[in-house]
Amino acid sequence: MEGLSYAWTTMTSLSAILAAFAGVTWGTLGGALPGISPSIAMALLLPFTYTMDPIPAIVLLASTYVGAEYGGSIPAILIRTPGTNAAAATAIDGYEMAKQGQAGEALGISLVTGVIGGLIGLFFLVLLTEPLAKVALAFTPPAYFALGILGLSVIASLSQGSLVKGLMAGILGLMIATIGTDPVSGVNRFTYGSPELLGGVPFILVMVGVFAVSELCIQAGKPAWDRPESTKIRVKLPNLAMLRRLNRPTMIGSGIGVFEGCMPGAGGSIASFMAYNEARRWSRHPEEFGKGSPEAIAAPEAANNTVACTALVPTLSFGIPGSNSTAILLGGLLIHGMQPGPMLFVQRPDVVYGLFGGLLIANFAMLIVGILIQAPAVWLVNRPKPYLMAAIFALIFSGIYSIDHSLFDLYIVLLAGAVGYGMRLLGFPYLPLVLGLVLGYMIESNYRRSLLLTNGEHRVFFEDPVSLGLLITAVVFVIGSAIRDYRAARRQKDRAA
Amino acid sequence: MPRDFWIGLVVLGFAALYRIEAGKIRLSPLDGPVGAPGLPKLLGLALGILAIVMIVRGLIEHFRGRAAPETEPKVEPGEFDASLGLRPHLRAAGILAIGIGYLLLLPVIGYALGIMALILTVSLYIGATLDIRTIAVAVVGGAAFHLLFVEFLGIPLPKGMLLGMLR
Repeated sequence: MEGLSYAWTTMTSLSAILAAFAGVTWGTLGGALPGISPSIAMALLLPFTYTMDPIPAIVLLASTYVGAEYGGSIPAILIRTPGTNAAAATAIDGYEMAKQGQAGEALGISLVTGVIGGLIGLFFLVLLTEPLAKVALAFTPPAYFALGILGLSVIASLSQGSLVKGLMAGILGLMIATIGTDPVSGVNRFTYGSPELLGGVPFILVMVGVFAVSELCIQAGKPAWDRPESTKIRVKLPNLAMLRRLNRPTMIGSGIGVFEGCMPGAGGSIASFMAYNEARRWSRHPEEFGKGSPEAIAAPEAANNTVACTALVPTLSFGIPGSNSTAILLGGLLIHGMQPGPMLFVQRPDVVYGLFGGLLIANFAMLIVGILIQAPAVWLVNRPKPYLMAAIFALIFSGIYSIDHSLFDLYIVLLAGAVGYGMRLLGFPYLPLVLGLVLGYMIESNYRRSLLLTNGEHRVFFEDPVSLGLLITAVVFVIGSAIRDYRAARRQKDRAA
Repeated sequence: MPRDFWIGLVVLGFAALYRIEAGKIRLSPLDGPVGAPGLPKLLGLALGILAIVMIVRGLIEHFRGRAAPETEPKVEPGEFDASLGLRPHLRAAGILAIGIGYLLLLPVIGYALGIMALILTVSLYIGATLDIRTIAVAVVGGAAFHLLFVEFLGIPLPKGMLLGMLR
């Protein structure tokens, strides 16, 4: 009941409602721009959340994620260029419908099934998160250390790229986290006499650099995207008969979205393609798939919007973000002095349940904003790419400077952008790097606190049952991932032979 | 040699350097059993081991004469077009260079002028033509950023020495 009260307070608060609408609007516009992923749209907002109250700030970020998932389908349907990776499956039949003069219908299906998927995802988020958080009382410093190690191992194992590269990226993140004044002894580490580094490297600088600046660098070498043929496209919501037809693919998409969202590292892209395939398999009209089937839009859209909510399950319950977007959201929580994980439910239930309430508003706001914003979104996609990219670069520099009024921070952002670009080029996943940086303090402080209890004896990590269980799971993930890589290599070898 | 072999060598060098630097972190009487250098030393070691794994794998691939699939970089489809050679990377470096140039000039020319110059330069660099429209976008865009960040949000962005000298 207390949780319901917190959620209701948020849902009736003007600042949270405004944040939800603003986030959905920004997310839809950002998602509509090819190259601007939900995580980049969220990262660009992060500097502005510093001065906000925690609940509207978190609602703003989460609503951006919700909006971006729909926004990504706009260029996917209109110009066959998915605005987000998760919208790639939507592009297949969405564009076919647009070619047949049914772009408005395709956008309407994407919007409505996305909202249904989002609401189903929210239901499962509430259902699954609280029981998981009840294990909070069983967590000791060794368990928190093990939780951090498990998070890094899981993300490194499941992220794109090889296991070794994933682990390397995670360690690099932890290394960056050690820069600055040691919180226990006050000793300076890797600061080299620079006063700007005494406080460490704020993760927001690395996030914005790795996500947004590296994307700008990539976009600089790419040609301009296509433009929609017609700029006067209106969303046409599906009628009851169509909704009945879409019922099955929507449920299939949402079911897959629930499962995939809870799995760290899976994300909306995998969920939407899985949903597309399963919807085709269970459809009464599988032959229409690929030729402009409404069901083929409903399933992936329901899936990726469900993931936008259920991806928060591991983030809120264990403090382990399963995707780039939830890593940014976790950053938003840290900015306001909150450590996501089991204790968040004990220490700040108002924020957790406020977020649930905010997500409910965001999903309903999506219906309104989705219809109203169509024309501005198409207008934005029609703007020349150089102007949009220049504006985003200006926004990054202005937004980051406004946090600490420091030019040094901007150099760090550029450096992080170069590192992010290099990692993408060489096939290193960058989510483990961000996660290592974000979890660095938790891992080190609990590691050292645990060893203080036993005067340096590492057996403490194996005596604590929760810690032992988590460490074993981490080892299983790493070994399992190594076996998977080995088998893939063998299969490739056999095929080549 | 496969690319991962060379990446492994570079990472090994970095891990060694990091480990040496971690060894220079001084111990404090306030430290517990681990101390401030404890985790960095461990991280340097772990990174070194992973780099060696990568090097060994690269050597095995080389002597088998075939690249193992998991060592191939898995980037987003279409993210890097190999047929374009170094061009996309040089263009990416150009974006970073424009950013550094902006930061160097900012204390001199100030935010209002600087942000207009940044929008103009990046627009031209990414493919806009130098015409009245591009200049108008830079001026209007710069003015909008100035209004938002300086006038509305009250952020003390650099005014620039140039403005001071003109006054």
